[in-house]
Amino acid sequence: MTASAQASAEPILLVRGLYKHFGGIKATNGVDLAVGRQEIAGLIGPNGCGKSTLFSLVSGTVAPDKGEIRFDGRAIAGMSAHRIARLGLARTFQIPALFDNMSVTENLLAAAAEGHWPGAQERAAATLALLELGHVADNRASDLSGGQQKLLEFGRAVMRQASLILLDEVTAGVHPNIRKIILEAIASLRERGVSFLVIEHDMEMVRSVCDRIIVMDSGRVVTSGAFEDIVRNSEVMQTYLGRPQ
Amino acid sequence: MAAQPMKSRWPGLLLLAVILVVLALMPLLVNNYWLRVATGALMWAGLACSWNMLGGYAGYINFGHSAFFGLGAYVTAFLMNDPFGLPFLATIPAGMMVTAVFAVIIGAPTLRLRGAYFAIATWAFAEVLIQFASAMDFTGGIGGIGLPPYLNERFFYYAMFGTAALTYLVAWALFERSRFGLKVKALRDHEPAAEAMGINTALVKLQTFVLSAVTASVFGAIFAYWVTFINPKSVFGGDITDQMVVMVLLGGLGTLWGPAIGGVTLFVVNRLIWMHWGDTAFYIAILGAAIVLVVLFLPNGIAGLFVRRKANALEKVAEKLIGGGGER
Repeated sequence: MTASAQASAEPILLVRGLYKHFGGIKATNGVDLAVGRQEIAGLIGPNGCGKSTLFSLVSGTVAPDKGEIRFDGRAIAGMSAHRIARLGLARTFQIPALFDNMSVTENLLAAAAEGHWPGAQERAAATLALLELGHVADNRASDLSGGQQKLLEFGRAVMRQASLILLDEVTAGVHPNIRKIILEAIASLRERGVSFLVIEHDMEMVRSVCDRIIVMDSGRVVTSGAFEDIVRNSEVMQTYLGRPQ
Repeated sequence: MAAQPMKSRWPGLLLLAVILVVLALMPLLVNNYWLRVATGALMWAGLACSWNMLGGYAGYINFGHSAFFGLGAYVTAFLMNDPFGLPFLATIPAGMMVTAVFAVIIGAPTLRLRGAYFAIATWAFAEVLIQFASAMDFTGGIGGIGLPPYLNERFFYYAMFGTAALTYLVAWALFERSRFGLKVKALRDHEPAAEAMGINTALVKLQTFVLSAVTASVFGAIFAYWVTFINPKSVFGGDITDQMVVMVLLGGLGTLWGPAIGGVTLFVVNRLIWMHWGDTAFYIAILGAAIVLVVLFLPNGIAGLFVRRKANALEKVAEKLIGGGGER
């Protein structure tokens, strides 16, 4: 199945005409996009174009002014964050939002405390192994390095057993080894049916992992398509990469 | 939640067993005066633990906790007097229910606030209850209300001991050994992230608030029957909450045993000062000095000396409390 076909066949996430204004700032200004099942969609755009706000709107952290959000066929616009999470949507934050005072293992268990408790200990052990965090399992989360914190936050999303994971710059500023661990985990989870929407500025990562790229600018989706098509798009070159083709 | 190795548990369990045996035999070991001191120390240890449930584990600083202590005391006083004349033990569940209703009514709107705003809202609630109890005839007004005397120090000691032990057992089971505790601590450390993990933070906060309030009401009920006379200031007074806060800070915010350490330490110091100098404001100076010392040298309290791992986020909560609060 091609990337575009995946996106069109009963998408796991569908956003239509999504608006969110903060005073005079139009954070999202009519966003339309879709993420297909088992698809890894990359979301790119210049700083301040509304990517993280879009994540907050989809995950319920912020309520939209107007528009439709459908997750796995259900309308979720305006629903509280915990209810959306329980439907199977997980997210990470641009700045890792860990439970600082809790250990690494406790962070993972806390992610499973609501709705996924049976077998949580075993899954936490498996997640520690998957992300190579076993040696710091009992360390306090705030004592981890920046890269390990990114890994742990990703691990919490894994513990949610979500069908769609929103990743906000999950590999930004991390060591190549940690980046490799995350990318392998994403690929492995996709094989198990998980879909991803990934905000990323690292174009090499976008190219190597994402099936399809969605480009945002000024609160709207400008275009979407395969990586090769996107980099040939002069509008993207001007708005995102800042140079004419 | 990870299981501790058994060998590291034994010294702690042994110490706990020794403390429990000594406490159980206390009436045989000391005279009536020191038995009253021990009864008071157990009450304050339990009250501090009840405050710590919300303030330490959930990170919501409640400056109106005395309101629930007072509610328990007044319900017991009201129901033991004419025309009801209920036995003491029957008044406790009534006080718990009344307190739970008040806690839901007050907690549902105020727990939407954070930091200093929540602290001020809860403080205002306690002030309202002081004024209400002072103005109403059925509460005895500012003059207070008496209870049927029951001069049995051993009864009150064991009542406080049993209630304090149960309070710590519940706190251990719920906050240290259950997924409910994980949810509470998760919302303390990062509320939006906890929500994103599927945790209904509004509900968990309210549950914790009600549990904390109801626990304080039981101590209030026993206290009222013990001292046989209460008035608005003696059970709703802001100094009661202030002492709980300082006790928890001194012992260790968000730890299981910190409130017990702080509660017993400060209450015994209070009684020793009273023995040597009588009624004096010196105790207030001691409280102030304790706050300064904690801020400078023990940001995680005495318990924090032994549990260094839990330092950082609790320091942030303590900073909010000591440093005047603010938005999280």
